[in-house]
Amino acid sequence: MTELMLANDESDALEVMHSAGMTDGLPVVIPTPERVASTVLASGQDADMQLGVMGPAGGVATIEKVAVAAVMAGCLTEHLPVVIAAVQAVLQDAFDLAQMQSTTHCTAPLIIVNGPGRLSCGPIASGFGALGPGHRANASIGRALRLCMINIGGAKAGESDMALLGHPGKFTYCLAEDEEHSPFAPMHQDLGYDIDETVVTVIGAEAPHSVIYSGDADDPQDAQKLLEVLAIGLANMATNNAVLTGGGAVVVLNPEHAKILADAGLDRAAILQRLFELTEYPTERLGYFAAGFASRIKDKTYRCFRRPQDILLLMAGGSGLYSMVMPSWCAGAHQNRYVSQRVELDLYCEIPGLGDA
Amino acid sequence: MRDGINTAKRGLPSVALVTEDFWPQGNFTADSLGMPQVPRVKLPHPLAGTGQEHLRAVAKTMVPLIVEQLKND
Repeated sequence: MTELMLANDESDALEVMHSAGMTDGLPVVIPTPERVASTVLASGQDADMQLGVMGPAGGVATIEKVAVAAVMAGCLTEHLPVVIAAVQAVLQDAFDLAQMQSTTHCTAPLIIVNGPGRLSCGPIASGFGALGPGHRANASIGRALRLCMINIGGAKAGESDMALLGHPGKFTYCLAEDEEHSPFAPMHQDLGYDIDETVVTVIGAEAPHSVIYSGDADDPQDAQKLLEVLAIGLANMATNNAVLTGGGAVVVLNPEHAKILADAGLDRAAILQRLFELTEYPTERLGYFAAGFASRIKDKTYRCFRRPQDILLLMAGGSGLYSMVMPSWCAGAHQNRYVSQRVELDLYCEIPGLGDA
Repeated sequence: MRDGINTAKRGLPSVALVTEDFWPQGNFTADSLGMPQVPRVKLPHPLAGTGQEHLRAVAKTMVPLIVEQLKND
């Protein structure tokens, strides 16, 4: 059982939790035994079921502890399947959570949701401002994962989380793919899942970097130019992707940019192949900025990515001039791999008085 | 710190080298991995990029401390 803390009332409890370093600095919903019990019940799983060990502190992530974080983050019970899947995802060995939590890099887990659960577990926003404020599911789900990382994983700034500055995505960083309007197959389908499955894909990522491109339908080089600016944003010489190399990264196309590429006959695989080729640079250029890193490369040119599939590509956001790219840390035993986790939607039950029914 | 603990767990004499800015994180890691007493030596911060001459000077100062730690049981 999770240890019970005592306070005179909810205001007092909030101050106790702030003082104990259990929050992200913002007010939380107090995880009273009743709220946590309802959330555990809604999960359809046992409170003491263990999802894994969370580093660097080595706390055991049980359903009850994840429920505590979900309550604190302001989650509705329908958000819970995505929260649990996100926790399971970062607990996969390939995610290197303990190392990722401890690094000086600013990396934060970006949660991308695909499949029908985007609607039934949210709705999880995928349109205008999906990574900004005002979307309850996006805000709460990402925040719940962060609170797990703080309270189960033991991430404390300057003590165990050594991010030199961090970024705002460390509060919450969650969006869905706009599958309905995308000209491409849903991302999870290209990752090998069935289109009817709900899947979270999580990658430790930098804050989104804006990439401006104003399309020109009369320009035969339109798609090529867009690909070139995306590649510059994805792996310029200021990124770990260009210096450490071999990690993952994310491209979030807005609908206008997605259409430019689709109209040029490019699908996801073709786009990733082009980005893979466009992020091949002269080794001499790396040597100018980072001689130590360049010294391990013997060829005249080098590639920032090991293979095209290491880049995640999805469509989200409003239509306009701006897409987003998220470079990554590229370190850890698995070099900042993304991981995917199927969301279990059949285990959950409605609690009278808590759901819409 | 993690490397020092992993080699110590293999029964090899080990001293973790930790820069002063990372000293609290080192303590945290040692506690989390169940070896709070693992030998460690505090180095100045930063070290990376401070030049060969400075690194040699730091090494000259620190080697006796590392040897001293290795002599301890």
